[in-house]
Amino acid sequence: MHSRRRRIRPLLRAALLTAIVAAAAGCAHDDELSIPPLPATEGHVNPGLGAEARPLSSGPGYKGAPSWAPGGERVAFLVDGYVVDRTVDRTVDGNEATRWTTRDFAAEEAEWTGDEALTVLGATDGGPGSLYRASGEASLAVEKVASGVLAVGPGPERGQALVALELGRGEGGVALLQDGRVERIYKGAVGGRITGLSPSPGGEKVALAVRPVGGRLANELHVFDLREGKDLKVSDLDDRGILGSPQWTDRGIYFVAGSDAVVEEGGEPPYDLYRAGPEPGRPEPAPGVGEDFVAGSARVSPDGERLAVVGRLNPKSPANLYVLELSTGDFAAMTTNEDMEIKAGPDDLAWSPAGTSVAIVARGASTGEPEVRAAPADDLLDDFYNLYEVPVLAPAPPGEAR
Amino acid sequence: MREVALWASGAALAFFVTAGAFLLLANLATGSSGENLSPDAGPGKSGPALDLDLNKGQLAFLEAGTGQKLRLAVQNGGAQDFSDVNLTLEVSSGNTAIPETRYYRHTLRTLETGETRNVEFVLDLSESESTNAAVPSAQSEPQKLIEIRATTPQGVSAVRTAIIPL
Repeated sequence: MHSRRRRIRPLLRAALLTAIVAAAAGCAHDDELSIPPLPATEGHVNPGLGAEARPLSSGPGYKGAPSWAPGGERVAFLVDGYVVDRTVDRTVDGNEATRWTTRDFAAEEAEWTGDEALTVLGATDGGPGSLYRASGEASLAVEKVASGVLAVGPGPERGQALVALELGRGEGGVALLQDGRVERIYKGAVGGRITGLSPSPGGEKVALAVRPVGGRLANELHVFDLREGKDLKVSDLDDRGILGSPQWTDRGIYFVAGSDAVVEEGGEPPYDLYRAGPEPGRPEPAPGVGEDFVAGSARVSPDGERLAVVGRLNPKSPANLYVLELSTGDFAAMTTNEDMEIKAGPDDLAWSPAGTSVAIVARGASTGEPEVRAAPADDLLDDFYNLYEVPVLAPAPPGEAR
Repeated sequence: MREVALWASGAALAFFVTAGAFLLLANLATGSSGENLSPDAGPGKSGPALDLDLNKGQLAFLEAGTGQKLRLAVQNGGAQDFSDVNLTLEVSSGNTAIPETRYYRHTLRTLETGETRNVEFVLDLSESESTNAAVPSAQSEPQKLIEIRATTPQGVSAVRTAIIPL
């Protein structure tokens, strides 16, 4: 009897010890279980572009053409054709969008030409349009400052803008806008229709995308000397047209070009990023982006050293915002998009004045079916095209998303 | 040798008994935390205090035009009865350049706890004549937005927005 008790005692001891250890482990596990998952906050969180992308707008409306105020604290954009602006810092009280034009105004583009003035290009519908000066504040009235306007681009200095004008049949010219008013029309003419323009880093020349008389595409790259009024064709792209404005950087003139021919097996026509010099010659594919890269739109940074590009690494990959470091050729994704639609219109991306972030326009992929959301319409993000601020502080190694 | 075998079998027995007990506890805990995740949960109840249910299949049959019927289920998932549940329905265009908004209202005099009531609205989803013709048509995607708000004098509310491609 005594020996039996002695035999059982180790068994009890082992069971007790194991139970204590298991209980301790079980308690720790129970703590983990009690942590609730994050609640869904529909309409307020947008992980689609990456954790660092921050919405600058919300709610319905076809938005596009963002433009940062010179001070960087506000961003203007188009909504269904009219012009609004909004404070970038969304923690500011009363951060509602401020309308600059009436709702029935149809704009194509808006550029800041001063801290309190916007220059607005009215809808051109393919032809020349009119340029208006909007002063916002209490009045939604706009003042017409020029007509026969073909394109608007940034000026050589702050508060300035360059304007391509139709001078006569088949001829264009360039004018300078200062504080929203035509300061001067440069002498000299350009043969063909100017569809986009960008000043050289020094501001004495302008790169022009030109559609020749009778041509179907803007397949010529010109350099126009503002002082001498001389126009020089530097590249002829044959059956490829330049999309938007060329971007004159410290490392050459970059532009997106492609054919509008129908692609076999469906899909988007391939648009590529090119680099050309200011002297006549053949443009080359932009170094650094990869031969399969499909470009949508490009915009040079305020310091002229980087190029923001919306595009795809290859025709089957999702669209993302990339930044090309021009001096090194480093090319890095700034968004981690998988299934959002990023607008790739020539005016649908804009650098902040400090060069620390880029505004893009995106929405969730549309199913074409009715959707129901548990939020007011004005708070919804993914269901409509909205503006996002993407921080661009330093380039990450290629392939590594930021 | 026998003592070692006894220690081992005792430890294994205790482990399995304790593990089984904790698995049981874990399952109970998971069930209850899931119930607490619903937003706007009323005290002591599992669902939201006030809920709106729009049937997606029904929305797919809506067309641009007048006389479009929309049925909505209003549910009291809370612990207290409601009186005067005000329903406001706004129909607007997805194109914000069209300022026209149509409003519809309905009041439920009572909505008892656990009760679900169906409310039918007859909507005018026709396109406004004040469409901004100057905006290129490619930019204005034909869409109607139906925003529904339910509010009670007790301060309980719910909101749903339906986006209808038309």
